[in-house]
This record gives sequence, C-alpha cells and structure tokens, in this order.
Amino acid sequence: MAHEQAHAAHDDHAHAHWDTSIWPFVISFGILALALAFSFHYVYHKPFAAVLSLGIGIPLILAGIAGWTSEAMGKGEGLSFGAMGWFILAEAMIFLSLFAAYWYLRLNAPVWPPAGSVPLPKLIPAMMTVILVASSLTIHRAEDLLHVGDRSGYIRWLLATIVLGFCFLGMSGYEWSHLMHEGFNIGTNVQSTIFFCITGLHGSHVVVGLAIFIAGLLPALRGNVDEGFARTAGLYWHFVDIIWFFVVSQVYYW
Amino acid sequence: MRNLKKLVAAAAGCLISTSIAFAGAYPATAGSGAPPAIKDPAVEWDHLWREVIIDITIIGVVFALITAWLLWRYRRRPGNETGHAPKLSAAAAVAWVVIPTFVFLADDLYIAANGWQLWNVYREVPADRLEISLETGMYSFDYTYPNGLRTQNELKVPAGKPVLLRMTSRDTLHNHFIPDFRVKEDSMPGRITYLWFLPKEAGKQHVVSCAAYCGVMHSYMAGKIVVLSPEDYKAWYDKEGAKLNDTKSAAERATAMPAKKS
Amino acid sequence: MNIKEWIFTTDHKRVGILYLIGSMAAFAIAGVMAMMMRIELSSLGPTITDNPTTYNVWLYSHGAIMILAFQIPALTGFFANFCIPLMIGAKDVAFPRVNALSVWLFYVGVILALLTFFVPDPPDVMWTGYPPYSTITTGNTAFYTFTVLILGFASIIGGVNFLTTVVYMRAPGMGWTKLNIFVWCTLGAFVLQLIFVPVLGTAVTLISLDKYLGTHFFDPTNGGDVLTYQNLFWFYSHPAVYVIFLPFFGVLFEIVATFARNQVFNYKMVVFGGIFGIVALAGVVWVHHLYVSGMADWLRIGMMITTLMISVPVGLMLIGLVGTLYKGSITFETPMLYASGVMFLFLIGGLTGIPLAVPSLTIHLARTYYVVGHFHYVMAVAGTFAIFAGVYYWFPKFTGRMYNEFWGKLGFWITFVGTNIVFWTMMDIGVQGMPRRYYDYAQFPQFVSAHQLMTLGSIILGIGFVIAVVNWIVGAIRGPKAGDNPWGSHSLEWTTVSPPPHGNWPSPPSVAENWTPYGYEKR
Ligand code: HEA
Ligand code: HEA
Ligand code: CUA
Ligand SMILES: [Cu+2]
Repeated sequence: MAHEQAHAAHDDHAHAHWDTSIWPFVISFGILALALAFSFHYVYHKPFAAVLSLGIGIPLILAGIAGWTSEAMGKGEGLSFGAMGWFILAEAMIFLSLFAAYWYLRLNAPVWPPAGSVPLPKLIPAMMTVILVASSLTIHRAEDLLHVGDRSGYIRWLLATIVLGFCFLGMSGYEWSHLMHEGFNIGTNVQSTIFFCITGLHGSHVVVGLAIFIAGLLPALRGNVDEGFARTAGLYWHFVDIIWFFVVSQVYYW
Repeated sequence: MRNLKKLVAAAAGCLISTSIAFAGAYPATAGSGAPPAIKDPAVEWDHLWREVIIDITIIGVVFALITAWLLWRYRRRPGNETGHAPKLSAAAAVAWVVIPTFVFLADDLYIAANGWQLWNVYREVPADRLEISLETGMYSFDYTYPNGLRTQNELKVPAGKPVLLRMTSRDTLHNHFIPDFRVKEDSMPGRITYLWFLPKEAGKQHVVSCAAYCGVMHSYMAGKIVVLSPEDYKAWYDKEGAKLNDTKSAAERATAMPAKKS
Repeated sequence: MNIKEWIFTTDHKRVGILYLIGSMAAFAIAGVMAMMMRIELSSLGPTITDNPTTYNVWLYSHGAIMILAFQIPALTGFFANFCIPLMIGAKDVAFPRVNALSVWLFYVGVILALLTFFVPDPPDVMWTGYPPYSTITTGNTAFYTFTVLILGFASIIGGVNFLTTVVYMRAPGMGWTKLNIFVWCTLGAFVLQLIFVPVLGTAVTLISLDKYLGTHFFDPTNGGDVLTYQNLFWFYSHPAVYVIFLPFFGVLFEIVATFARNQVFNYKMVVFGGIFGIVALAGVVWVHHLYVSGMADWLRIGMMITTLMISVPVGLMLIGLVGTLYKGSITFETPMLYASGVMFLFLIGGLTGIPLAVPSLTIHLARTYYVVGHFHYVMAVAGTFAIFAGVYYWFPKFTGRMYNEFWGKLGFWITFVGTNIVFWTMMDIGVQGMPRRYYDYAQFPQFVSAHQLMTLGSIILGIGFVIAVVNWIVGAIRGPKAGDNPWGSHSLEWTTVSPPPHGNWPSPPSVAENWTPYGYEKR
C-alpha cells in the first residue's frame, strides 16, 4: 500500500533536501523596485530615488533571468509548450481589451479622426508586415531543422529571425519618431493615445520575443539546445505575428 | 425507457410553465386606449420589492429547512458508519439537472419580466413634466430651472408633477440619490443621463445624497428636495424668475452699454 | 528547520504554506482596517479621525487587500497549491520555479499594498479605482495600479502552471471524472483568471497612463469616455467573484463529502452543469455593476436576464452540496461546523443578489449598504468561513498536528453570531437608504444606533476570528500529533504521510479502475 511505502520513504528522507531556487525571489524584488521607481518619478518627483531604484531593480531582474535560464535550461521543463498556449490566451485578452477600448471610443466618437491627428503612414506598416511574416517563416524553418538534428542550421535561421525582429523594431521606432516630429504624440488626442498604446504594446511583445530568442541563443551557441524551449519560443513568436495583423488592419488601414 | 419518457414529459411541462410565467407577467397593456394614470415608480418599487423578497425568502427557507433536516436526520449514529447514497440512474441524474434548471429558470424569468415592467416605468417619463438640468461638481448639486433660475443643493418642486433631471458633471462621477423616491443615477463628465420622480406631498422635504464615490467630501455632498403645493411653487417660481429677469436685463444693459457708446 | 529551504523553496506544499501565511497576514491587516472603519462610523461626525481621507484610505486598503491579497491568494494560492498536486497524484506542479515566482510576486504585491500606510498621499481610489477621480486625485494611483498588476501577474502565471499540471500530470488511471470537485472548481477559477485578469490589468494600467503619461482614454474633453474603464473593470471583477466562489465551494464539497462519508451527489451535474455553467455565464453579466452608471437601456435589461440565470448553475452546485448529506453519516468536527454554517449563510448572500440583479430594484439599492451587506454575506462570511473550514480540514495534513477542537468550535459560534449581527443590519439600513463609502452620515441621523450595533457585532466577530487563528498557531507549534488520515477520508491527499515529504509519494501513486475520491461505501 502506498501508505506504508510513504512512511518508509519518510524515514529515509527525513533529512532529504528540498529543492530550492533563489531566482524567483530575486526577480520578484527586482519588480518591486521597478514599481517603486515609477512612483518616485511620476508621483513624488524624486528623480534621484527613481534612478537609484531602477539601478537596483534592473540588475536584480537581469541577474534573476540569467540565473534562472542557466539553472533550468536543458533540464527540460518539457511541458512549456502546452503552458505557452494558456499564457497566450491571457496575452490575447490584453490585446482584446485594448482593442475593445479602441472600438468603443471610435464608434462613439462624433468625428474620426479627431482634431489634431495626422494621416498615418501606409507604406511602412506594409513593409513591417512582410518582415514579420518572413520572420515567422524563418523561425519555423529553424525549428524544422532542429527537429531533424541540424543544430547549426537551427542557429543560423534563429539568427535570421532575430535580425528580422530587430528590423521590425527599427522601422517601428523610425515611424514613431517621424510621427512625433509631426506633432502626433501620445497625448495629442484619443487616436494618438490608442495608436501609441497598441503599437507600443505590440512592440513590447516583439522585444520580449527577441529576449526569449536571445536567452535561448546564448546557451545554444555553447551547444546547449533545448528543443522544448525552442518550440515554445517559436509559438510565442507566431502569436506576436498574428496579433500584428490585427494591429495593422485596425489601427493603420481602418 | 419508461423513465426517459417521463423525463421528457416533465421537461416539456416545465418548459410550458416557464413560458406561461413569462407571458403572464409581461405587460399586456401596451396600446390600450385611455391616457394611463401616471405610475409612481417609488410606489411600484415598494410593490416589486415586497414580491421579490417574498420570493427569495421562500426559496431560502425551503433550502434551509431541507439542509437542516438532512444535517439532523443523517447525523452519525451507531450502525450508520458510512454514507449510503444510492447511485443515481442515468435518468435520475439527468432529471436532477433538467427539473431544477427549469424551476429556477421559471422563477428567474418571472422576476425578470416584472423587473422589466418596472424598468419601463422608470425610463419612460410622462410628457407633462418639469424639466430641470443638473450639473454636479465637487461637492454640490447645481440645478437650473427652465427659466434659467439656478439653485444649489436645494430643489423646490411642485407636488403632483413629474420631475425630470437631466444630469451631467463638471469633474468626477457623482450620483443623485433620493432614497425617498427610490431612484438614483450617476452623473458624469461628457455624457447626459436622466432620472425622474413624482413628488406627492406638499410640505415634505426629501434628502438627496451623493451615491458615487467622488472624493474627500463625498459623504458631505447632500441636498434636499422641497415639495411645495402647486400654488406656492408657482408664486415662488414667478417671483424668483422676475428677480432673475431684473438682474439679467440689468446685466444685459450693463454689457450692452459700452457697445452702444462706441 | 532550514529557513533557506523555506524562503527559496520551489516545493508546492511549502509555496502553498507561504501563501497561507501571507494571505492570513493580509486578512488580519485588512480586518484591523475594518475595525477602524467600524469604530469611526459608530458616531456621527469625527470619532477617531477627523480627516475623511484617512477613512477613505482604510476603506481602499480594506477592500483591495481583502479581495486581491486575502481571498484570491488563499483560495487559488494556498488551497490550490497544497491540494491539487496531492489530489491528482503528482509529485509537484509542472513548473516549480514559476510557482515560487508567483508566491514571491504575491508578497511583493502585499508589500506594495502595505506601503499604502507609510507613503505620503496614499491611494484613496477605492478598490474599484473609477476615473475621473482616480486620475485627478492627489493620492498615489500608481500604487493601486502596480498592486493590482503584480498580484494579477502572480495569479496568471499560477493559473498557467496549474492548468498545465492538471492537464498533463495526473496519476495513471486518474480520469477526468475522478478528479476531486475541488480540482474542477479550481480549474474553472483559473480559466476565469486567465481570461479576465488581463482585462483588469489593462484597465488599471490605462488609468495610470492617463494620470501620469497624459493619454486620454477616460478624458471626455479629449474624446475619451469614463465608462470605458467601468466596463473593463467589471468585465474582470464580476468573474473575480466566481474566482472566489468556485474554489471555496470546492473546499466545501471536500469537507461535506468527508464528514458525511458519502459520495458527492450527482457529480456530473455539479461539474458539467454547475462549474461549466458558471464559467460560461461569468463573462456576460458585468453590466449589473453599472445599472446606475448610465449604460444603454438594452444592456441593462439584457444583463438582468443573464445575471438572474446565474442562479441556475449556482443552484445546481448547491443541490449537489446539500444532496451529499442525503443518507450520509455526519459528524460535526470544526471543519464541518464551518461548512454547515456556510450552507445557510451562502443562501442569504446569494439570494440577496437576486434583487440586485434587477435594474429597476437596483436603482434604489445600488451603492447602498444593502450591496455591502450582500457581498459581505457571500465573500466575507461564506467565503471566509469556507477558507477557515478548509484550513481546519487540511490542518492535520500540512502541519502533521491537531488543533484544539473546543476552541475551534467556540471560535465558530462567536463569529457566526457576530457576522449575522453586522451584515444583516447592513442590508437593513441599506434598503432604508444608507449610501456606502461614507465617512460621515449627518444627513441620515436615524442610522446611528444601527451603526453602533454593527460596531459591537464586528468586535464580536473579530474575537471569533482571532480565536481561530490563535488556535492554528498554537496547534501548529504544540498540538498533538495527528495521524495521516484523521478524518478517514478516501481522497488521495490523505494517503501520504502528514506532513507530506518532498515529492509527496516515494513512488508515483496510481489509482484503480473503480476508485473515486468519494468511494466510501466500497471500502
Ligand atoms: C464571492 C463573491 C460573490 C458572489 C458569489 C456573488 C454572487 C452574486 N451577486 Fe454579487 N457582489 C459581490 C460578490 C459576490 N456576488 C461583490 C464583491 C459586489 C460589490 C462590488 C463593489 O461594488 O464593490 C457584488 C455586487 C453585486 C451586484 C451589484 C450591486 C451594485 O453595486 O449595484 C449585483 C447585481 O446584480 C450582484 C448580484 C449577484 C448575483 C445575482 C449573484 C449570484 O451568483 C448568486 C447566486 C446564488 C443564489 C441565487 C442562491 C443559491 C441558489 C438557489 C437556492 C437556487 C434557486 C434560486 C433562484 C431561482 C433565485 N452582486
Ligand atoms: C473578502 C472580503 C472581505 C472581508 C472578509 C471583509 C470583512 C469585513 N468587512 Fe468589508 N469590505 C470588502 C470586503 C471584505 N470585507 C469590500 C470589497 C468592501 C468595499 C470596499 C470599497 O467600497 O471599495 C468592504 C467594505 C466594508 C465596509 C463598508 C464601508 C463603507 O462603505 O464606508 C464595512 C463597514 O462596516 C466593512 C466591514 C467589514 C468587517 C467588520 C469585516 C470583518 O469580517 C473583518 C473581521 C476580521 C478581523 C477583525 C481580523 C481578525 C484578526 C486576525 C485573524 C488576526 C489574528 C492574528 C493574530 C492574533 C496573530 N467592509
Ligand atoms: Cu459626489 Cu459622491
Ligand atoms: Cu457581479
């Protein structure tokens, strides 16, 4: 019976050690420091305290992520692919609620675009779409190669994806600065508010995606490839790609 | 098989009674001649409230009695060391879903239909009414009468005439809550909302209190509604209106003068 | 005891206990805030503070902490963590490190919430944080935003973790219809969290963006709309009440089945009718919090019907719970006493939601103490009692020791009396027109004696809670050793030793063809 076995095991393991990891703790308090930094800067107008607290928070978080990945990478938390599915559900809801706010405001607005808007570019977003779709294909190719055991091929295509991702970010940054130059800032009117929030949120997801890729690339260069991790990262990237179609169609071309 | 047949029959019965409950409660008065007497939402509210309270009290008491009886009846006694709940047959298991569902739904729809009816009373304002616009702000209720007369935190109204408030706010959310008239609605910047009530007894005062958290002095944001007899109200309104006209024309003259000079 | 192995632990049981300690501390603090409010309200005019903002900060922290840092973490943090892997026969959760991250983020959220009492210009936006007030107050709205965001994120990663765990890590033979009701309930709650917390996160982020970065989401002078926030907020916060309700009902099912030594009445009805029904309806009723907010009429009527329909799945779950008593063999140890209490008190709380669901009645009742009474009955009474019942019930499992039965029962009866005095009176004065969130009520002098009665009652109920918590602390330190299965339960978590070792079982358990967690008769 399970019962007696458990007892026996208990005696054996009376002093057995319990798994620990310091990194979740480190990251959490790094996040606390970031939250405080925001308050210092925006609420209490204490720039020095804000910088100090950022200076504590960011290294804590980076150290935490580095420690975590090196501790866990290759140990195959093999269920991460399925988990990413659930996580994407949550992420999708963030976008959905922002889009809902957008639709609500736009459909209730007396005139659209509201006063103060400038025409949004049409060409750049088309190019960005092409780039992002291409990056989805390259990462797919990378995974295929990894699946058949071609590690160096995997790294090559992964690098291509990363480069495409940075191109995307660069164009996005170019476009933002262009618009801001024309006087279209986050505070201009509702349209600008929504434009910068939605594209900004999407952009931050691109950043996170790239960070995940790089976190996987570094160990991979040292020969430590985790296929589960690679597939999970790829899934996230496809999601970011799909969201972009909504951003383009709703924000730029509608 | 026989069980299943019974089940279907029971379900059908439930469905029919549900729709009857709904139809029975739904307003059948639409379009019937004679101008209807004004329905006072506050009176109707008390009526529906009593009905719903009786309804949920019955449900609550039935459930509580059953629970208490089961707790008592099946307490541990010698010779009764484990539970012996019978295993439900498939038909019984389904019946225990379908029948309660319809019984509960029937009650829900009955309440919904009555609630809807009262809702129409609250939202359809009688045509013969006094219309007042209200602007709320931290922390006062500012009323404006049709003739431009303005008052703060005190609204004088004639007895017997429906009063409609069109509300907006200049800062945060506020809420014009009149407990005696069983009505409240938010006012907010950027939108216009409305509510109406029927003051009846001349000489009475009714508390108005802010019911939307609006800041530090939220709980001190209060006013009153003073009900006057129609004659008193008219006298007051005309007098104040005349005063207002005097000052207004004086002001107009004052602003018009320089224009003339130039 | 190795303190490092506690703080940096990744073991689900220890993470769970960290959750329990944190959420109980939050409960104590928010409870003290409630006491301060009650004392303040015991007389007209200033009583212990002459600054309304102080009262508003108490109220803000009371509401936000009780919901976000006490009940949700206690239920989806402690109970889920401690019980789910044991109930499904897994040796841990899918991602132990993520689990540790989630508990420490929870602590960070609690720390942020507690800093409220120490920073200048603390947040005073109420737990709902409605703009425009939250974007123009001098209070620190950023703290509100970050508290919610961090606790929300902790909860999302917890949800991802547990859904993955239950889907992939069940013991051999553990089919979907053999899961404990508690596991099903918690799954439902986590699905709700995953879908709806992000919406809340967005909503509270947007108010800080509006306030500090100059965006215009809620600013009508620039094309924004204040109602956007209320819709987003309640789109989460209504489902949130079922995030509380589902797990606490799950706990009750475990307790009632064990103490009636009976199988759960109509298991499939409870799971597929009750839990699935609630999850399906939870997202389409939020406008019932906006009945007097100026929403379109058709939305108010539509959501009246959906809200009333929630009584169907909830009613099915209640039938399942009460039906489990039928032909049982019931004993009344402390956990069962609390659970029986809930069976009655939840009726009051749930049924008083019915008038609130009807917009034409809510037009008088909304934002009064009637609402406060309603939700204290369902959450503060039914929910807290269920949490206390659950802690008592699994106490021998997670501490290996026994609490004191006499003090347990005494604590129950004292709280039972106290809660009814307080929260029944609330509903009574609410119907008579007492608005909520009032620091003072000079325009309603007729309610002074009722408020004094409530203050008295709240002291009584507070004493009851303190007795319970002290009972646990003393029991955990020097209670008599409890056996591995003191209640004679049939469920899987009781088959290992108390407290369970790292890894839970020496060899992974598997369950037989005809095993169910409630198979008392077959034994
Ligand atoms: C655990 C928490 C919890 C739970 C389970 C519920 C359950 C319900 N609540 Fe409650 N509610 C809150 C927590 C909760 N609520 C909170 C916190 C607030 C206020 C937030 C704030 O503003 O700060 C609130 C506010 C609130 C409002 C808004 C009031 C207002 O601000 O104007 C409404 C309106 O519809 C409402 C309705 C309901 C209904 C219909 C249910 C139903 O789910 C109840 C269903 C249960 C039953 C009906 C009883 C059992 C069933 C039967 C016996 C079957 C037969 C019954 C019938 C056929 C009727 N609640
Ligand atoms: C789960 C949720 C929950 C719980 C448990 C409670 C519990 C209590 N609540 Fe609260 N309440 C809310 C959720 C909750 N509340 C919410 C959401 C609001 C609305 C906020 C808003 O408007 O924004 C609210 C608002 C609210 C108000 C309305 C104020 C107003 O509108 O102006 C009042 C007034 O009396 C009140 C009272 C109480 C009381 C007396 C208790 C008591 O039950 C508390 C008893 C507990 C204790 C006294 C603590 C006991 C101490 C220990 C366990 C520690 C022991 C430890 C050691 C000895 C080491 N609450
Ligand atoms: Cu105005 Cu509250
Ligand atoms: Cu709700």
